[in-house]
Amino acid sequence: MTHTTVLTKRSVVPLLVPLGVGALVAVALGLYGRVHAPTGFAVGVAGFSGPLAMKAWLTTGAALLAIVQVLSAMAMWSKAGTRSAWLAPLHRWSGRIAFLLTIPVAFHCLYALGAQYDSPRVMIHSLLGCFFYGVFTAKMLSLPRRGLPGWTLPVLGGLVFTALIGLWLTSSFWFFTTLGVRL
Amino acid sequence: MSRLGPFYTLAAGAVVAVALGAASLKAAPTFQQVGAQDTNAAAAAPAESPPAPSQEPSQQPTGEATEAPDPTPRKADYAGVVQGNGGLVAIAVRDGKAVAYFCDGRIEAWLKGTAENGTVTLEGKDALITAALGGGKAQGRLQVGDAKWRFTAPLVKKPSGLYRASAAVRGAKIVGGWIVLPNGQEVGRVQIGGSGEPAPRYVPGTSVDYYGVTLRPEEPDAFIDELVR
Repeated sequence: MTHTTVLTKRSVVPLLVPLGVGALVAVALGLYGRVHAPTGFAVGVAGFSGPLAMKAWLTTGAALLAIVQVLSAMAMWSKAGTRSAWLAPLHRWSGRIAFLLTIPVAFHCLYALGAQYDSPRVMIHSLLGCFFYGVFTAKMLSLPRRGLPGWTLPVLGGLVFTALIGLWLTSSFWFFTTLGVRL
Repeated sequence: MSRLGPFYTLAAGAVVAVALGAASLKAAPTFQQVGAQDTNAAAAAPAESPPAPSQEPSQQPTGEATEAPDPTPRKADYAGVVQGNGGLVAIAVRDGKAVAYFCDGRIEAWLKGTAENGTVTLEGKDALITAALGGGKAQGRLQVGDAKWRFTAPLVKKPSGLYRASAAVRGAKIVGGWIVLPNGQEVGRVQIGGSGEPAPRYVPGTSVDYYGVTLRPEEPDAFIDELVR
């Protein structure tokens, strides 16, 4: 009797705010990418032969760190009592660095090019990009909240990972297979 | 502390994005200005008459409406600076067909249309050009998106003028455009798969390496029929 009351305290209501803000972020990015006139130019990270190469490599870095994210999350959520003290910091910081690596990429995409729906690859990439930051925002806002359903973080984290891998496939993978693996 | 961590993460991303935005607004245009910088190329340009100019139909038509000679040049190449923008525009006319390219290093537009009655009307994606041909120049208006500019583009001859290169690499179409002025000023962009970036410098008569793909820019004679049907 007593332990059922503990279980019912978890509800999806506290999840509504993170999801709502995440949805707003995704829609706002899509609107911005669609409405403003692409500048064709944006400041990015130096050291690459061009903006395309810069974006391909930064996204690859983020995707590799995203794999670290999944592995460290699996270890953190595993039932076995092998949780090491460095696991949480590893998960936290690999995620932060991955997120920051995507910012110059997304900035160039949205500011210089804008959201485009001309070809399937570009359309999927545009939509996934907006979705990615929406889900990421939702996950960040969910982290400090108490009383969320147990599946919240795995599902949101899984969606962030899936979106990022989709973004990598529609950009970096396309770049490497079309123009070759070059800096 | 750790409860605020995720907010710091989001804030850090936003700060980086804002910083990139501020830097991009400040950054100078990626113009390739080589050689003399006299932008008044219009005055100094050695205008070459087009093959069949019949510029001024000075002879009065006698009596009935006999066919007035069309003042439109059969073949002409114009290139000049866009006023208030600093970018370049080039127009090529071949037998009533016309193609134009505008590029300021950041934005670009390919336009196609017709040349008749001494004027050209060209349309592109979110772009429009109308210009009067004559007196050794093309003079008119350019509209790209919401922006409108005027331009005066004198006649130019090789190696100045408009160049375009297109290539297909494993399903991706690459299109490069360049405008070269007699004073050495040049601008160009390459677009691939919905993305675009400033083109590598093109020296007329050579090829251009773009991420390992060899692009061979061509003169309007080679591509105008492909663009304007």
